[in-house]
Amino acid sequence: MTMNAVIPTDVSVASDAPFRPNRVPVGSPAYNEITEFLYEEAWLLDEIRLAEWVARLDVDLRYTCPVRQTRPLHQHAQSIVRTVMHFDETYASIRGRVGRITDTRSAWAEDPPSRTRRLVTNILVDSTDDPDEFEVKSYLLCSRSRFEETNLLFLSCVRHDLLRRYDDGIKLARREIIVDQTVLGFPNLAIFL
Amino acid sequence: MLDRTRTTLSDGTTIDDLINIETREVQLRAISDPELYDIEMRKVFGKTWLLLGHESEIPNPGDFITRLMGSDPVLITRQKDGSIRVMLNVCPHRGMRVCTADAGNAKVHTCIYHGWAFKNDGDFIGAPVAGEKMHGDILPKEKLGLTQARSHLYGGLIFATWNLEGPSFDEFLGEMKWYYDMLFCRTDKGLEALGPPQRFTIKANWKTACEQSASDGFHTLTLHRWLGEFAKFGDGDLTTSMYGTEVSSLQGHSLRCMPVANKFKQAAGFRDGNLTLEEKLAIVPPPGITKEMLPELIRNLSPEQLGLLVDSPPQVGGMFPNVLIAFIYVPQPDGEIIGLTSLHTYIPKGPDELEFCNYILAEKDAPEEHKQKALQFAVRMLGTSGMVEQDDSDTWPHITQTAKGAAARNITMKYQAVCTTPPRPDWPGPALVYEGFTKDDTQWNWWLAYRELMNAPA
Repeated sequence: MTMNAVIPTDVSVASDAPFRPNRVPVGSPAYNEITEFLYEEAWLLDEIRLAEWVARLDVDLRYTCPVRQTRPLHQHAQSIVRTVMHFDETYASIRGRVGRITDTRSAWAEDPPSRTRRLVTNILVDSTDDPDEFEVKSYLLCSRSRFEETNLLFLSCVRHDLLRRYDDGIKLARREIIVDQTVLGFPNLAIFL
Repeated sequence: MLDRTRTTLSDGTTIDDLINIETREVQLRAISDPELYDIEMRKVFGKTWLLLGHESEIPNPGDFITRLMGSDPVLITRQKDGSIRVMLNVCPHRGMRVCTADAGNAKVHTCIYHGWAFKNDGDFIGAPVAGEKMHGDILPKEKLGLTQARSHLYGGLIFATWNLEGPSFDEFLGEMKWYYDMLFCRTDKGLEALGPPQRFTIKANWKTACEQSASDGFHTLTLHRWLGEFAKFGDGDLTTSMYGTEVSSLQGHSLRCMPVANKFKQAAGFRDGNLTLEEKLAIVPPPGITKEMLPELIRNLSPEQLGLLVDSPPQVGGMFPNVLIAFIYVPQPDGEIIGLTSLHTYIPKGPDELEFCNYILAEKDAPEEHKQKALQFAVRMLGTSGMVEQDDSDTWPHITQTAKGAAARNITMKYQAVCTTPPRPDWPGPALVYEGFTKDDTQWNWWLAYRELMNAPA
C-alpha cells in the first residue's frame, strides 16, 4: 500500500468538478463583491428581513437541497440524491414560502422565530463564459436556537451557487445545498440556507 | 389481587391507571415516561407490523436498503426469485452492524469487524481463515445467520414484524383493509417510491406524532390555520372540509374520508348524483389518480369502493402504531388541483426523540410530468420543509417536555369529543364509522389499541 493511494475515478459529486483555470482570485474586486453579497444575505436571513432577501433572488431561481445517503467511498456520488429532496424550489415557490411567514399570523414553525446565525466561509469563485455570471462555492454553518433550549442545533453544508451581476447588484440564480447529514438534526427546514 | 398479566410500572401505576376508559382521558405522563418507553419497544414495536419502505426502492436482485424497525436496524434485500427478506442488521458474532450503507446492491454482506459473511438472504456463509473456524463448532452454521423478521408486501409497501406467530398482516389491518385497498391496491401496477425518504429528527416522543396521525382533524383548524389565512391556498374557511366521515378500528387504524364536493366549488355537482364516474374524474380525480386510470380502478376495486374513492376519498389518516397516510389535494392559483401521496413513519429514538421518515410516492402508471409535480408539491407541503408539517414539529417537543412536570404529568389529555351522529344508512364500507364533523373517536381508538398491546402478556 503506497501512501499516495489514488482516489477511485468514479467518485463524482457536485463538488468534484476540477478546479477551474478561471478562478476569480481571493481578494480581487469581483471576489470581494460576491463575498459581500453572501455576508449580507446571511445577515438579512438572520435578521428575518425576508422581503429584502427575496429582492436579491433572480426570477429564474432554482433552489434545491438534495437528500444525502450513506454510501461506500466508491459510490460516493450516490450519496447525493436529487429525486426526493428537502427543498425543491423555484422563485415563485420561495415567494410562497416567504408569503406564508409575512402574510399570515399563524406560521407557527417560525413564530416565535428561531435565533439563527449563518456563518459563511471558504468562498471560492469561478468566472463563467458569461462575464456577469459566477459559480460560487461557500460553506455554511447554521446554528439555531428555539425557546429555552440551551443546546444549539447545527446544520452544516456546502452551497453551489450561480450568482448573476446586474447594474443594481448581484442576484442569486441557482443554489444547490449539499447538507452533511443523512438524518437532519433540525426539526424542519422552516428557515432558508 | 394483582392481575399478573397487567403491565405495572415500578411505582405501582398500571396502564389502566394511565388510560381511563370511562372518561376517555390519558395521563400526560404516558407521553414520555422512560419506563413506559422500554415496555413500548418490546410490546408495541416488538410485536406489531411495521412499515419499512416500498419494494420499488429495491427493484433488482441483490438490491438492499437499511432501515429502522422500532429501535432495531434491519437489512431489507431483494432475492433472486424476486421475493423480499427483512432481517436484523446485526452480526451474530459480536453485534456489529453488518451493512453500513443506506442502500446499494450486494450478493454478499460481510461484516467489517471480523469478516463474517452472509448471503443476501441472511444465511451465514463463513468467516475468514475457514480452516481455523472462527465460529467454532458448538453451533451449526444454520444457526449463525442473520435473525429473520416476518415480512409482508402490501400494495408494494414493505411491512415486517418480529412477532413470528402473531396475527397475519390482513388480520392486523382487519376491517380497515377495505379502505386501505382503495389507496394502495387500486391500480394494476400500484404505487412507487419517487426516491429514498427524507429523514430528520424531532425532539419529541413518538406518541405525540402518532396519536395525531390517527386522524386528528381539529388541529388542522388552528395549527394549520395559515392554509385558510393565506389566500393562495384556499377560500379562507377550513371548517367546511372538516365535515366528512372518519373510519377507524380498535386496532388503532383510521382514515378521514372528505367529500370532494365540500372542498371544491367545481365539484358541487358530485352531490346531485347525475354525474358519471368518468365525468367526476375529469372534474376532480382522487389524489394521485388521473382520469385515464379509470379502467384500472374498475378492475381493482369493488363498485362500492370506487364510488367512495371518487366522491369522498380518504385523504389523511394513520396506520397503527407509527404511520401517517396523506393522499391530499394541493389547489393551485390557476385552478389546477395537484394530488400528492406521502407516507410517514415516526420512528422512536428514545423517550424524547423521534425520527421523521417521509416517503413520497406516486402511481407507477402516472405520466412522468404528473409524478414530478406531485413530488415537488409533496416537498413543499409535507416533510422536512413542508409548509404544512413544519408547524407540527414545534408542538410535539413542547408536549414531550410538559409531560415531565411534577404537576403536569398528572393532568390528562382529553379525547372527549365524541361522535353522536349515526352512520349514513347508505355508507358502503365496514369498520367503525363516524359521520359528520371531525371528532376524537379515531384518536381514542389509537389509545385503545396501544392499551391492548401494552397490557398483553410479554
